[in-house]
Parts: sequence; structure tokens; C-alpha cells
Amino acid sequence: MSTARFKVKALSWSPYIEPVDVATASEEQLAAMQVTPSNTKVSPYVRTLAHDPESYVARTKLFNAIMYAKGGLDRAERELGALVASAVNRCVYCASVHARRYVELSGREDVVEEIYVRGLAGPFDARTQAIVDFCKALSETPSQATREQVQALRDHGMSKADIVDLIHSAAIFGWANRLMHTLGHSVPVEAK
Amino acid sequence: MGMSDLDQIDILSGLKPGSELYAIRRERPEFVEGTELCRETVLSPNHGFGLSHALRAALASRMARFIGREDLAAVYDLILDDAGSDPDLASIASGAEIAAAADAFTSAIIRHADLVTRTPRNSSRADIERLKKAGLTNPQIIALSELIAFVNYEARVLVGLSLLEEVE
Repeated sequence: MSTARFKVKALSWSPYIEPVDVATASEEQLAAMQVTPSNTKVSPYVRTLAHDPESYVARTKLFNAIMYAKGGLDRAERELGALVASAVNRCVYCASVHARRYVELSGREDVVEEIYVRGLAGPFDARTQAIVDFCKALSETPSQATREQVQALRDHGMSKADIVDLIHSAAIFGWANRLMHTLGHSVPVEAK
Repeated sequence: MGMSDLDQIDILSGLKPGSELYAIRRERPEFVEGTELCRETVLSPNHGFGLSHALRAALASRMARFIGREDLAAVYDLILDDAGSDPDLASIASGAEIAAAADAFTSAIIRHADLVTRTPRNSSRADIERLKKAGLTNPQIIALSELIAFVNYEARVLVGLSLLEEVE
């Protein structure tokens, strides 16, 4: 038995296209990136998406609501939905971010280790299994998600409002993964 | 409550006004309104970067078909008709193979939408290079990516809510 706790490495992200340059950005792009005289440091991800500021602003607002809105499904389990989608879509960068957030919020290194080392098949504890099974099907092939999978979520104590939150967290990562994993790739964090 | 309170997600998820799940959705107005606002920014944006509303609707319809939601595809077909369809756009929407006659710009866009909808995990730098070679600008590449990702998100919300409506 290893005594070391399972840890997911922090990664950085690098785009395949030239991101918007803050120095030459349009007013609309600067507003989208929330650049102010005191805040000129903007991540490559934000600068890449700021090529289309309209969609960037609307999606960021929706994303934040889905992942951070008060009440409803526990934030840790929203992160688990994000992690499962990212694992299905092999978005290494998203998976690392959301695996770490999930562990911070839940303390469940065991679940993350299972997913990273052996994959999404499990076995996990029953409630985690129900979440993983449903989010995996919804992420892979929506038509293969089943009523039984949703019933399993209900049977493990999730309210319908909780399940609405879970559906959105997995679905918004069907979106985020299709940006992060197609427009760039993960890179090791530069040594400080 | 009248039918006018139903949005596209309610209708395609089979939610009735006054139903339990309809009410639960309204407890998250940021999700409901945010999704509709996002739809506008990818389907009918103010700045389309030369990707017409009609082309966007045709691609959305095609992707919805590939995901297996004919009902969602039919909604985008109507939007395509309103925006002004033509045989090429109708062919894109139908899910047909990319016509040999299609110009390089359009066929690169279709290929990318198909790839990222079906197997996002397989996409790589080479796929973005292909878009650049076909003449897409950086704003066009981002606008296309957001459109593809939105339809994939929307379809998953619909599928999830439809299933949830069926359980007790």
C-alpha cells in the first residue's frame, strides 16, 4: 500500500491559434476580458476566446452560474460531473482542474485515483457510481443515457432540482471540453 | 401560464407549463436565460465574422441530427428556412456527406463540426491547422467552435431533462 495520497498535477494550457493581444484588442474584447489599467494579466484561454467576445461573455456568465450558483447540488458533485465529462472527452487540462477542485471540496482522492488509474467503470460507492454512470452516458452518447440511470440518482437521495444542476454541470463541460481540448493543449506548469 | 412561457428547452424536453420540472427549472433563471442568451450569440450574433446566420442554423441542424435529436434538428431547420436556405445549406442540415463540389472553406467547416460533435477526444492541432489552411480567420475558428460546443451542450440538457421528466 502506498502511503502517499493520490495527487493530480496542475497543468497550464497553450492555444493552437494566436490569442488576442491585449495591446491591440478592440474595446469590446477588452471589456469581455475585463481588462482594466490595474488588471492587464489575462490567461491565454480567455485571450483565445476573446476573438469572439459576444459568445465569450454570455458563456462565461452561464458557466459561472452552473458551477457556482448557491443552493441545490453540492458544489463537489458539480465538479464530479465536470470531471466525468472531461474524462470522457479526454480533455486533460479540464480534468486536472476539476479533479483538483473536486478533491478540495470533497476530500475524495479515492474517487479521483480510481478515475485516473482505472477509468470510469468503477466500482465506486453507490451514489458516486450513479453520478458517474449518468454523466458518462450523457457525455459520450446522449441517446444512451437512460431513465434507469436518472432513477438511480433519485434513489441515492438526489432531488429533481439537484439532478437539474448535475445535468447542467455535465452538459456545460460537453461545451468547455469542446473548446479547451480542440483549441489547444495542456502543458506542464513552468518551473517557478 | 400560457404556452408562450415555454422556451425551446421546455418544449423539446416535454415539460408542460405548471409541471414540477418546469417550476424547478425556473428556480435557476440564470440557467434558463443564460442558455437562451448563449443561443443568440452563436446562432444569430451581432458580429458573425462572415459566418451567416443561415450557415450557423444549417450546421446546428446537422449536429442535432448526429446527436440523435431529430426534434432539435427540425427546430434549426425552421430557423434555417427563416434565415434563407438554399440547396447547399439544406444539404448541410440534412447530414449528407460533404459534396465534392463544396468549396474548401465550407467543407472544412462541416468536417470540423462533424469531428468535434462525434469524437472531440480525437481532435488535435492538425484539425485547427486545416481550418486555417481553408481560409478561416481566428475569430471564425472561435465562433465555429462556440457554435459546435453550444449545440452539444443544448442537446445534453434536453436529453437529461427529458429523462428526468419521466421519473418520479
